[in-house]
Amino acid sequence: MSYRQEFENKDVALIDILDVVLDKGVAIQGDILISIAGIDLVYLDLRILLSSVETLVQAKQASDRQLSSKQFDREKEELNRAIRET
Amino acid sequence: MDNLIYLYGIVPENEISAAPLPSFKGLDNEHAAYTISINGINAVVCNLDEAGYKETELEKKTNDPQWLHEKAFHHHEVLLDLNNRYTVIPMKFCTIYENADSLWNKLEPLEQKIAEQLKWLKNKEEWNMKIYCDDEKLRESVAAHNLTIEAKKKEIEEMSPGRQFLEKKRLDQLIDQEALKEKETFSARVHEQLTEMCEDTSVKKNWNKKVTGRNDEMCWNSVYLLSTENVEEYLSEIKSLQDKWTRDGWHLEITGPWPAYHFASLT
Repeated sequence: MSYRQEFENKDVALIDILDVVLDKGVAIQGDILISIAGIDLVYLDLRILLSSVETLVQAKQASDRQLSSKQFDREKEELNRAIRET
Repeated sequence: MDNLIYLYGIVPENEISAAPLPSFKGLDNEHAAYTISINGINAVVCNLDEAGYKETELEKKTNDPQWLHEKAFHHHEVLLDLNNRYTVIPMKFCTIYENADSLWNKLEPLEQKIAEQLKWLKNKEEWNMKIYCDDEKLRESVAAHNLTIEAKKKEIEEMSPGRQFLEKKRLDQLIDQEALKEKETFSARVHEQLTEMCEDTSVKKNWNKKVTGRNDEMCWNSVYLLSTENVEEYLSEIKSLQDKWTRDGWHLEITGPWPAYHFASLT
């Protein structure tokens, strides 16, 4: 077996890909310029996203709660206004 | 609806006419990719709906890590495939033009540079190496083999118990310093050894453990451009370095061949 076969496209981690795709590549000016937060930030965000589905589910539950409590506040406010107006 | 143009990369005329572009879906997973050929410049592109991908929309999208993950991978996979088929100048992720005229206006002045780059990159490959180090193993071996530390240890043995405590702490710091030095020296030596057979090299920033998610520390991150004919020799060198050093806690991680992300340049 050649060394190439042994190494080619093996063990490529997420960091390897982001380290080249977000960091390098020929930059000629396009019409649209976007800035991507530093790759360490992006990568940390991704790791958080990928590593724990459980965290995501919890986050969703938390945001649902937040939503419903906001809704509750709004309803309370409306109720108060209605009371004041009468 | 108006279309924007997403540019993946540029390939040589003769190679693309010999082997037409395979069909695949573009960045939005709807429009098909195609080539625009003008005056011998062959750009691999796809269309994007303006409504979804204009600057403000794209800015929002890139703030979503999941979108970024998916699309950065898409960009990479397309370029990897192009790189397997053709010589390619890989563009940076999200290089987008308003329309074909605008793309052409940007590329036309670079015509000669593009031709030179494609010629230079032909039959060359980019390989990347990251060295990781097991800190515990390194500290042990530094403590066992470093002459300064050996001498210091002997000194300490003859001190009073109280001073021994303080001096041992200081010795620990010294071992840390020496280990750090050793990381730099070891990696630089490996790099130098590999550089000899390369057309070009570049040393990049190391990423910390939080980023890599590994237990061992990244102590070197570098990229190499090689003539295809030298790749076997280069990899065999890596292999023998791995065989020699893995036991001592040095992990040489090699990936490739990549499109020449770090070496292609049009400026």
